[in-house]
Amino acid sequence: MMTTAHTPGSPVRAGFARDGVVDDRIVFENVSKFYGDVLGVNRVTLSLPPGITSLVGPNGSGKTTLMNLMTGLVQPTRGHITVLGMSPGDPYEFFRVVGYCTQFDSFPRDVTGFEFVYEALLLHGLDAPQAAKLAVEALERVGLMDAAKRLVAGYSKGMRQKARLAQAIAHHPSVLVLDEPLNGLDPMARAESLALFETLGRQGMHVVISSHILEEVDRISDQVVLMSSGYVVAEGNIHTVRQEVREHPMQILIRCTQPALLASQVFALDSAVEAKLHADGGGLLVRTRDLDNFYELLNRIAAEGKVEIQAVAPADDDANSIYQYLIGSDGGNS
Amino acid sequence: MAVYKRSYKPYVGPLTAISRRWLVVARFSLATAFSSRISVVAFVLCMVPPLIAALIIYIANNELVQAAMQVKSSGALLINNRFFVIVLEIQSWLALFLTAWIGPATITPDLSNNVLPLFLSRPLSRLEYIAGKLLALAGVLSAVTWVPLLLLFTLQSQLSKTAWFTENWYMLPGIFFGCWLWIAVLALVSLAVSSWVKWRIIATGATIAILMVPAGFGGVINGVLRTRWGFLLNVPYLMTLIWTDLLRVPLPLQAVPVPLAWVAMLSTAALSLVLLTRRIQARQVVRG
Amino acid sequence: MTRMEEFKQYPWRLWSRQFMTIVRMELRKSLFRWRSAWIYLLAMAPVAIIAIHAVVDHHTRDGMREDVVVLAAIFQFYYLRLAIFFGCLGIFTRLIRGEMVERSLHYYLLAPVRRELLVIAKFVAGVITSVMVFGTAVFLATAFMYLHFGQKGMQFLTEGAGAYHLKAYLGITVLACLGYGAVFLALSMVFKNPIVPAIVFFGWEAINPVVSPLMQKLSITFYLRHLSPVDVPAQGLFALLTVVTEPVPAWAASLGVVALTTGVLLLACYRVRKLEISYTTE
Repeated sequence: MMTTAHTPGSPVRAGFARDGVVDDRIVFENVSKFYGDVLGVNRVTLSLPPGITSLVGPNGSGKTTLMNLMTGLVQPTRGHITVLGMSPGDPYEFFRVVGYCTQFDSFPRDVTGFEFVYEALLLHGLDAPQAAKLAVEALERVGLMDAAKRLVAGYSKGMRQKARLAQAIAHHPSVLVLDEPLNGLDPMARAESLALFETLGRQGMHVVISSHILEEVDRISDQVVLMSSGYVVAEGNIHTVRQEVREHPMQILIRCTQPALLASQVFALDSAVEAKLHADGGGLLVRTRDLDNFYELLNRIAAEGKVEIQAVAPADDDANSIYQYLIGSDGGNS
Repeated sequence: MAVYKRSYKPYVGPLTAISRRWLVVARFSLATAFSSRISVVAFVLCMVPPLIAALIIYIANNELVQAAMQVKSSGALLINNRFFVIVLEIQSWLALFLTAWIGPATITPDLSNNVLPLFLSRPLSRLEYIAGKLLALAGVLSAVTWVPLLLLFTLQSQLSKTAWFTENWYMLPGIFFGCWLWIAVLALVSLAVSSWVKWRIIATGATIAILMVPAGFGGVINGVLRTRWGFLLNVPYLMTLIWTDLLRVPLPLQAVPVPLAWVAMLSTAALSLVLLTRRIQARQVVRG
Repeated sequence: MTRMEEFKQYPWRLWSRQFMTIVRMELRKSLFRWRSAWIYLLAMAPVAIIAIHAVVDHHTRDGMREDVVVLAAIFQFYYLRLAIFFGCLGIFTRLIRGEMVERSLHYYLLAPVRRELLVIAKFVAGVITSVMVFGTAVFLATAFMYLHFGQKGMQFLTEGAGAYHLKAYLGITVLACLGYGAVFLALSMVFKNPIVPAIVFFGWEAINPVVSPLMQKLSITFYLRHLSPVDVPAQGLFALLTVVTEPVPAWAASLGVVALTTGVLLLACYRVRKLEISYTTE
């Protein structure tokens, strides 16, 4: 993948294969969507590879619009979208491989959980026994089999979320689009869902998730797309994106025996902006503009043996930090 | 967790009197109802017939204008109880359609968006909530029924050269109480239907259907069973009958007894109120 | 590949399976749920009254002649103008617009089903529902109206004019369901709130007899009224205002309704391709 230099004010791109339609990718080509005068998304150009991609952004940033565009629920005002080389205009081919778990917490009336998933499978053209088998499998996978015979109207919020998830995965899609799939789930159900998404991502599926829970986004995502006010602000692997955000120096936490001595050594570097002793006295938090030079210095210091370095780790190489730097508010950890 | 700074202070300013708090519901219901341009246009259109009636009253009492228009003061320009019954009928039909449009707008958003628990967890009872909604509708319907009619009555009394008022004073309470009966029935039926149907676009059609279809069914009863009791299901007909009686116009031969018409109308209102109160709950139980 | 070969290549089997699935799902929603009780009430209420009449009537000879006219009046003024109108309004506006309001339409749009197939299947399900309910009601009303006259009534219904009347009423019911269904489906595809134009349409249908002959042709009831086997004259002031026109031949009326239905379905298929899910604006 190609890395481009970051210009302040322009989107950060940590990897973008600009070779037209790619069959194993989800491609947005200069897509804009306006709802009357209201901007949904503007001039979005993305190419999402297989794996887990997280859409991150504040409310109203255009995440749901992007997902609706991807799945054909809305049409772009400008631009072109393909998913694995297919367009939403051919629903039979398209929706055999795409599953979408929307954020709409509404269901057809008077259906049970089982009927909800089963009828969706019948619409795929499956015969009744096959549809029933897949419905049961999907409901078991999300842990809703016990309540499958009850009316969805009587479900709790988390159960309704699971029902929608079951419907999205029941037909074994290659692309799974999930709009805030962890909403309303208790911690155990959340962990199970994340494990499921990870498994699907590792199997080569495209999993596109929008979420506000940035720690979990960090844990499972292969790439992240940050959005703000309808624009893509950053896109790519979290670590690489972080490196491109040059106006915010990198923060490194170094666990060592003599942090004060290390701090005096660190200031030999021009690119070191700040060095702060950790509250517990066992480490040093350094902010530097030049990571390569800093690591070189650290290697020299370690080789000289004056300071025993126990651990070195980036302190702001995560989704929450990128979110704060690029979008400028707390990610809403919930 | 220790509390170090007791900086939180609850609101200690003036509060609205408890007896007037429910008016907030009415105020916001009206604002919601008239947020739509169609509501405003419909309301304005309801004022057209009274304006035309005022013009007719003016012409009927002005010989100069009659001469200029070459119109003779005849039956068509006779301002009497029949004239007011006709205007009342026109306004009552317009009020029916206006209610079918505005009524659902005042209550369906609260039900479909599950807002009732928010309302009822405040110091507001179910009855106050319903009273607020009814007041909003009653205000609008008053403006298109008894208010313009009483203004027309006043205009005629003023312009008439004869002792018209002393001969026709009975129309005043007739118009007032008759219109309030119609307002009560329309408002309650509309709110009850809207509370059960929950979605605005369906509630508008359902309100009109609830008032029209039983009328047709009443016609079926009359035709099949060779009777007149089917009219008791015909709400618009019953209201016309009541006005005809209140304004002392001779009743049609096949009419049902007027007291029964009153009972039927009040029963309709009462049934609607019962259905409405059953639906206005802070929680919903789903079985199955 | 020729057009014929291309035509044969289409996945007809899949489409027919999906079509039947959607029709079955819709029929289950509209025929076998408590919330459809109002349609049954609308259709069967006159049947109940006629059944009471069958019990209490004195079964005189003139009574049957009167009953023919009464049944015609019930069909024209209750079924055609009220029951089938409002019944179809509820059934057909729920198909697309109702699902948008209930926020459940996107489940269909996210399935591998052609949108045109979805609309046609839903429309067919709506027609089946309305024809089944109102057709049954009309059949029962007609049967109860005459059968209580004993042998004479049975003969009238099976061999006499009654058989022709029944076929005509059922035929008109089917055409009314098709015509009204098409109109309401079109309104729900074009307008966000189809009820307002539907009420305007209701008013237009109500005043149809008193407008000019040319304007009278812009009405469904106009064509269906002329297909009625028994004429029910207007009375009173209405009679003075009614403009009498030449009756339309049955084949022309039927063709007209079918053409209207086809046109509306084509419009609906075109519109549904561009349909977007924007529930927040509902």
